[in-house]
Amino acid sequence: MYRIAVDVGGTFTDVVAVDETGRVTFTKAASTPQDQSIGVLDGLTALAEELGMDRAALLAKTDRVVHGMTVATNALLERKGAKVGLLTTEGHRDVLEMREGLKPERYNMRLPREEPLVPRHLRFGVRERMRADGKVETKLDMASLEKAIQGLKRAKVGAVAVCYLHSYRDDKHERATRKALEKHFPGVYVSLSSEVLPKIKEYERISTTVVNAYVGPLIARYLGRLEGRLADAGYKGPVLIMQSHGGVAPIEETIRVAAGTVLSGPAGGLAGARRVAEMLKAPNLVPFDMGGTSSDISLIVNGKALLAVDKAIAQEKIALPSLDITTLGAGGGSIARVDGGGLLKVGPQSAGADPGPACYGNGGTVATVTDASVVLGYLDPEAFMGGKAALDREAAEGVLARLGEELGIDAIRAAEGVHRVVNTQMAEGIRLATVRRGVDPRRFTLLGFGGAAGLQVTELARLINIKRVIVPRVASVLSAWGMLATELRFEAIRSHIDEMATLDVPALRALYDDLETKGRERMGGWTDGPIESKLSAEMRYGEQVYEIDVPLDGIDLFAPDLAKRLKRAFEARHEELYTYYLDDQDPVLINARVTTIGTLPAPPDEPKASKGKPAQSTGSRKVYLGEWMEAKAYPFGELASGQVIKGPAVIESATTTVLLRPGDTATTTPQRWLDIAIAD
Amino acid sequence: MAASKKTAQKAPKKAGKNAPDPITVSVVQHRLVGVVDEMGEAMLRTSFSQILNSSRDFSTAITDAKGQLVAQAEYIPVHVGAMPSSVISTLEAFGDDIHPGDIFMLNDPYFGGSHLPDLTACLPVFEDGKLLFWAVNRAHHSDIGGATYGAYNASATEIWQEGLRVPPIRLYQNGEAREDIIRMMRVNVRHPRDFLGDLAAQIGSVRLGERRLLEFIDDLGVETVAGSLDRILDAAEAETRAIISGWKDGVYKGKGVLDDDGRGNDDITIRATVTIKGSDMTVDLTESDGQVTSFLNSSWANTRSGVAMALTYLLDPEVTKNDGTMRPVKILVKQGTIVMPDDWAPVTMSTSHCAQEIIEAVVTALAPACRDRAMAGWGKRLRIAIKGQDPRTKKDFIWHMFHARPGAGASPGGDGWHNSGEWHSAGGLKFGSVEVAEVRFPFFFKKHEFRPNSGGDGRYVGGVGGDLEMVVETEMPCVANMAGDGARHGPCGMAGGEAGKPHRYIMHAPGKRPHVLATKHEGIPVPPGTLFEIHAAGGGGWGDPAKRTEEERSKDRLDGFVTTRAPKRNKRA
Repeated sequence: MYRIAVDVGGTFTDVVAVDETGRVTFTKAASTPQDQSIGVLDGLTALAEELGMDRAALLAKTDRVVHGMTVATNALLERKGAKVGLLTTEGHRDVLEMREGLKPERYNMRLPREEPLVPRHLRFGVRERMRADGKVETKLDMASLEKAIQGLKRAKVGAVAVCYLHSYRDDKHERATRKALEKHFPGVYVSLSSEVLPKIKEYERISTTVVNAYVGPLIARYLGRLEGRLADAGYKGPVLIMQSHGGVAPIEETIRVAAGTVLSGPAGGLAGARRVAEMLKAPNLVPFDMGGTSSDISLIVNGKALLAVDKAIAQEKIALPSLDITTLGAGGGSIARVDGGGLLKVGPQSAGADPGPACYGNGGTVATVTDASVVLGYLDPEAFMGGKAALDREAAEGVLARLGEELGIDAIRAAEGVHRVVNTQMAEGIRLATVRRGVDPRRFTLLGFGGAAGLQVTELARLINIKRVIVPRVASVLSAWGMLATELRFEAIRSHIDEMATLDVPALRALYDDLETKGRERMGGWTDGPIESKLSAEMRYGEQVYEIDVPLDGIDLFAPDLAKRLKRAFEARHEELYTYYLDDQDPVLINARVTTIGTLPAPPDEPKASKGKPAQSTGSRKVYLGEWMEAKAYPFGELASGQVIKGPAVIESATTTVLLRPGDTATTTPQRWLDIAIAD
Repeated sequence: MAASKKTAQKAPKKAGKNAPDPITVSVVQHRLVGVVDEMGEAMLRTSFSQILNSSRDFSTAITDAKGQLVAQAEYIPVHVGAMPSSVISTLEAFGDDIHPGDIFMLNDPYFGGSHLPDLTACLPVFEDGKLLFWAVNRAHHSDIGGATYGAYNASATEIWQEGLRVPPIRLYQNGEAREDIIRMMRVNVRHPRDFLGDLAAQIGSVRLGERRLLEFIDDLGVETVAGSLDRILDAAEAETRAIISGWKDGVYKGKGVLDDDGRGNDDITIRATVTIKGSDMTVDLTESDGQVTSFLNSSWANTRSGVAMALTYLLDPEVTKNDGTMRPVKILVKQGTIVMPDDWAPVTMSTSHCAQEIIEAVVTALAPACRDRAMAGWGKRLRIAIKGQDPRTKKDFIWHMFHARPGAGASPGGDGWHNSGEWHSAGGLKFGSVEVAEVRFPFFFKKHEFRPNSGGDGRYVGGVGGDLEMVVETEMPCVANMAGDGARHGPCGMAGGEAGKPHRYIMHAPGKRPHVLATKHEGIPVPPGTLFEIHAAGGGGWGDPAKRTEEERSKDRLDGFVTTRAPKRNKRA
């Protein structure tokens, strides 16, 4: 039987299959942005071909399909979601557009104002009010509610978000509102804040609920189509969707919390990184995914991916637990230019896929990082994309020469400069991303993946004092590959604000018990396999604003001194993150959180490659690394386990090229990946 | 006396023979920005009081050995241009007596500070015994002693009533804290726990800066790094000059007007005469009104910062911001005016007011020279701080209002942003969650929404301000302090646009007639059950209102930002 993962990216749809022996097969098909499910089916056809069978036969022998997609992300970026109406507490209808008083781009005083996802005339105040202690100040006024619903109907909204103040304490007004909507506006997509994110802080809750309503109808339609196409093609097994929190969930659940898929694509990369950490026994990794327009940085600490709750996509806050991924505006297509002060700047503007870098020969006229790589000999113009799309070296030299003229240097020095500047920017980005999470990158291993990372990783590692770099053979499809090894996951969170001194222990126990029971019930509907619950508490000092997530592993909720134990666990975590804690201060518990995990059988390990005969160099070429030097070229796909390659060298496949600098040593792992020791 | 604080250089110097190439300079610049960002991030995560970790009222910077700003993290615009003065004052105070292991501290506005709550830590960075850099961290502390809590004392007539003055002092020596001095400071502030926590975060931040700077000097070599600094400043200067030289030569006049000084004197005015000649710019503030008896006076560092903000707002947003940016600008001030007061005058309000009026004076002056860059006025700051006891916990509390933000000014780029705050923070100050505020304070927020009809009309309209109705639910009376401006003068319109509506703050005490609050008032008794009704200013409009399109007008009405019936166009035509 096969297990298949399909990851839809902006340009390519990556497809990976693993069979019961652990053998991995992968391929790519063109993405189809209008309806991503077409590209998914094309990818499956290509994969079947790769395996020497037809698609129906492959799908008949497949027992799980995992899918990462960019439907929600694209809808947000391109502003193509549903027409959403918002029902909220009277007197507070502008929370969404107030954005807590913050405006993007601090020093841009001429930035045009953006239209919020729900314009003001579609935000209706409803007479009702809950107090902070859960008492009803004003009962839900049905006349006011019905009037608002009539307004939404007249405006023909496609989805309704409902978010009342303090509804995390008691959801009865929101539930009654859903009933009224079902009665007076049947068929409309409804999203309740108390279901999506029953958590204090109204801006985060409203924004998340609105995003959910904005992308929900689209996700529902898309997944319905995908399910239909797969069924027509002969697939009868489950389809699991990659979620922003790094786990997977069935289609029905994905439609319910559609906002949880905005990081569906990159989440696969982290799942892949987690698997790499385990396979190579490198528990502390900096996954670095460099594509054409941007680079994603994240962290694996002690084998685990970190979650954050303050993510924003396209300026829209989504406060669901999501993998902590930082995006930098630097990629292979980033444009190099000379600023008004005569200094070289690279990015954040990108030549994108069209026209792309000058060397693509599609009319690009400005220098990019990729053009610099061609001029410096890092990329072989003839071998790019396996020879399918030769690069135009002369065009690259032309744009770099022009850039050099502006700087008063030659094309080679300009190209080298582009690499130095972009590497410095990315290195600073990695430093900042790691400091933000309280870790020192020097203890970490750099994991390079995505098409463009291979040329930069060795120099990046040197700049941040990282000694070890890994580049997997599946580097270009790591996201899809990672999705094969994920688990079912359900995140439940509820605010429960309580001081340690007056901790209401029975209420807290009942809350955790309720969250855990409901999580297990839900998971029981998704899997027959083992189910695990992980409890944690989000806590902070009273004066602070950022909660930290404190795992309750090993803390007995029935212990008589529970408050003291919670305090100690919080202090340990606070110290780990921020180097200190305060002896004389009690923390406050803000949110109770339960993660329910349904373990799926892990894919078998890939059969280890025999030592075999080391791959021969396919030739050598001149590369510029401070001076021109000969670098041998090796085919990535044919390296033998244990083979050692010393820099300077280039290791190439159709989708990625890895550059070793003098002194760097790459050893091929049993998986035939590169494990590179960086020269001092 | 006219004090010329900075003379302009004509053009960037030609690089010498051994000067680093432009690529290396660019690399050094990126690394410096990386260092200040890391210093800022560490501060954000480790500071203790809400004004720092939530509202981010702090900045981190690196200057060269002489105190020229070479990199600054982009947190609060009002700190731009004010930090170098701290290093320069420290250098003047200590001369050669500056050694590895030292950390200096100051807050005194007459010795390199802006106002007393802003404490600035300066750490000299040495390599091989040679002073190369300063790592600087400025942070707004929630209390600095003085006659009233929270530093903003509308009654103060002298700086000594505003809090503890700290001229440049040596806080750390040989890497060790001078505990006696820290003890002295901690007994002078109201919240020693917050104070010490925030101070520790500042020290951690400048030390991190030092470590990172040394690492990168080690990587690139001391000569390369040191040699790149002048080029970095030259490059920013060249970028700035390239833009200024596109502005029409001429002598331009502008003004910014404060409501009053809280002592019965109305319309305190900042006057700027700005001369553009080629790529040089002179800002003459000498005709500004004389210093006032209340806390609106602006120290030199703050005045320079006001001019720097105006300039950076008019440049392109991506232009590098360092001391090179300010080189084309010469600022003229006269001793004894509100922008250069004698060294005993109170100043605490000045980082908002008159800093904003300095911006207003410079931008209105320059609008005819660069119409396509000049933005309309942003809302002014008017703060309420309430002190009382929470009946639920019996604990004392102090609440600073950040809700009901005023609107942003419109610009040639389009309509102003709603409730994005003041000109000096430019959408960078965050207000807290209403739900969290109701949990933490004995307040009930009946209403917190946009204030319709508050944005100034124009081709592009100003952003609206916020409306707030909040009930004080204590059992015992509270006390409120008001500090700010803008209840008479709304944010200015630009290029034919109209001014935004000014602030209107009303207090409804039970059984009493509604009372419009003055902008500068200390010690207002607040009985339980009092309702505060707050209408924050809208931003100014930009361009001729007759040119706003009918579609835009009908959208304004559809969304209820404008609720008046007759469109302005008919009136004007």
